[in-house]
Amino acid sequence: MSDVTPSGEWSRSADEQKRYNLISGLVFTGLGIILLAASFLLQNPVPLTVRAAIVIFVAVSIAVSIGLLPVLNQQDVFGSLGLILLALTAFIASNDLPGMRGFAFGPGTAPRLFAALLAALSLIVLVGGFVTAGPEVTKYQVRGVFYIIGSILAFAASIRPLGLVVATFTTIVICAAAADDVKWRETLIVAIGITIFCSLLFPYGLNLPFQLWPRFW
Amino acid sequence: MYDLIANLWLGMGVAATPTNIMLCLVGALVGTLIGVLPGIGSLATIAMLLPITFGLPPVGALIMLAGIYYGAQYGGSTTSILVNIPGESSSVVTCLDGHEMAKQGRAGPALAIAAIGSFFAGCVATVLVAALGAPLTSVALMFGPAEYFSLMVLGLIFAVVLAKGSVIKALAIVLMGLLLSMIGSDLETGAERMTWGVPELSDGIGFVVVGMGVFGFGEILRNLENTGTREIVQSKITGLMPTLVDLKASAGAIGRGTLLGSALGILPGGGTIIASFAAYTLEKRFSKHPERFGHGAIEGVAAPESANNAASQTSFIPLLTLGIPPNPVMALMVGAMTIHGIVPGPQVMTKQPELFWGMIASMWIGNLMLIVINLPLVGLWVRLLRVPYRHLFPMIVVFCCIGIYSVNNAPFDVSMTALFGVVGYWMSKHDFEPAPMILGYVLGPLMEENLRRAMLIARGDATVFMTRPISAVLLVISAILLVLAVLPAIRGKRDEVFTE
Repeated sequence: MSDVTPSGEWSRSADEQKRYNLISGLVFTGLGIILLAASFLLQNPVPLTVRAAIVIFVAVSIAVSIGLLPVLNQQDVFGSLGLILLALTAFIASNDLPGMRGFAFGPGTAPRLFAALLAALSLIVLVGGFVTAGPEVTKYQVRGVFYIIGSILAFAASIRPLGLVVATFTTIVICAAAADDVKWRETLIVAIGITIFCSLLFPYGLNLPFQLWPRFW
Repeated sequence: MYDLIANLWLGMGVAATPTNIMLCLVGALVGTLIGVLPGIGSLATIAMLLPITFGLPPVGALIMLAGIYYGAQYGGSTTSILVNIPGESSSVVTCLDGHEMAKQGRAGPALAIAAIGSFFAGCVATVLVAALGAPLTSVALMFGPAEYFSLMVLGLIFAVVLAKGSVIKALAIVLMGLLLSMIGSDLETGAERMTWGVPELSDGIGFVVVGMGVFGFGEILRNLENTGTREIVQSKITGLMPTLVDLKASAGAIGRGTLLGSALGILPGGGTIIASFAAYTLEKRFSKHPERFGHGAIEGVAAPESANNAASQTSFIPLLTLGIPPNPVMALMVGAMTIHGIVPGPQVMTKQPELFWGMIASMWIGNLMLIVINLPLVGLWVRLLRVPYRHLFPMIVVFCCIGIYSVNNAPFDVSMTALFGVVGYWMSKHDFEPAPMILGYVLGPLMEENLRRAMLIARGDATVFMTRPISAVLLVISAILLVLAVLPAIRGKRDEVFTE
């Protein structure tokens, strides 16, 4: 795992950090409200403590976004908010599962146990992030995420209807756009080469059941 | 002793068939290739190549996958020495002295000593796997659910302690892994858990999906941030053979590295990365001239390279004897074994001795092949390093996609991997280590099953984990480790090791 050393290019100025706090806090606020709404749609009533926890989560998110709480360690604050949200989501998702029956575990016992522990540990991290200073969250590689994730989703969408040849080619071309220094002529050559290689290796060389060409051909 | 030789002989018989030798060679070569290329780890590779092994007999498939794993440890050192970028995460420390040596025109001896150290470590580790296999298997047969649960707790605690950064954050991330592993059908009642009614989730999220997303795609996203240029040592590599002085200087380092690496490889939660770091630190402590480290000391190459190779092989011990994967790569091996209908655990050795011993014997053959093929091929690997990353990552992405798709022929899995790629990127942005999360994800279902069984047998009495002696010892060790890791004095030391 190569470590990312945050170079100057990726760090944010104080104003940008404030804006990041605002936006991320609002995102967590929104997700918390959605979760709260979802808790009213379940068959079994959600325990009051879980609902109260979600309300507090929303309140903290709002406080973070408008700067009421000092975000001294961005990584810890937003990281732990994310994990707490996951734990709360797990509580809602496992709400309808039966718990302990006598001394036997029910299907819902272990998920709720792990979720409770996760929430407790994340809370410690969260409080720490308000008290002690720490590193900021560096800028996201938005272009990279967009094109790489886009290319993977394109593969998922096209492999069944369009076959291996089209899927491989489009994936490589979309994916290559993620690099800042993309050179299209070279990329096309690479894409054609890899497409030929894959369409020979997987269906013929390895006898895997791949459909090469689009269905409607 | 006689048994050991007889068993190894049986293994040789299996591993030395032409097909298996070929598969071992292919695995070792592909592993080296992957190890040389920075930006793709052995986990993503094994996941990528899983579909290739579908058509193979189980022994051959496992021989090849094992070859990829330890081959990658060999290849990683080449890139570290020549380019000053770790080709594999476990050869990070090799950069320090290896690249210095290359700059001084001693790239040849550095490469050679890395290979010789790895070979020696590989041989020792092979014997160790063979020797410890039988006794550990008999220990495993005494284990009940409570002991298994406590052992897995210990493994997770090890992963937490050995991860860098905050201990609490590492613990939290382990729990995230455990929680995510609960998605899917409940083992006992068959109830759908946290699936939101999505039918594709009823079998849970495959380990390949999570591992490939977080390690494979997450790492590519991270790599795109540092678009630094690579400086390959241009001078021709001459004089591959190390001098007698070099050999003498590194003999002790290789021995100590091998021992330390073997020990850390067996520990659950350990693995190659920590082994190489620990070996380097130990060597620096032991050295009469610690100031030479970082300026081209040959011991600084020999020790970590021996250690990571030893660890990569001894990490098979807990998998083959206890059925518990000590690190994410071994978890993937569990997946590969189950695809071929093998349940990892103590019964593998008794019921399928030819598989167990064949795999062990193949490790030795593989190591021999690596040293023979690797040194002459250095020129080829260097040329490969000139391929710019902008062409490399689209290839990696598309191979990963095909690999994931072919496991279940499910486009849904591919989309989920994209999601986990983003999760992995998000985690690295917030300084969460991915390795403990993956280990938690792998051990989650096993832990829950054993916890439930233990509680059921004990009629709901949670003290069972402390009244059964083996279980109690394991838990006490976990607790001590955790306390030590949190104590400020030790923490300082631990951070020092990581920053070095």
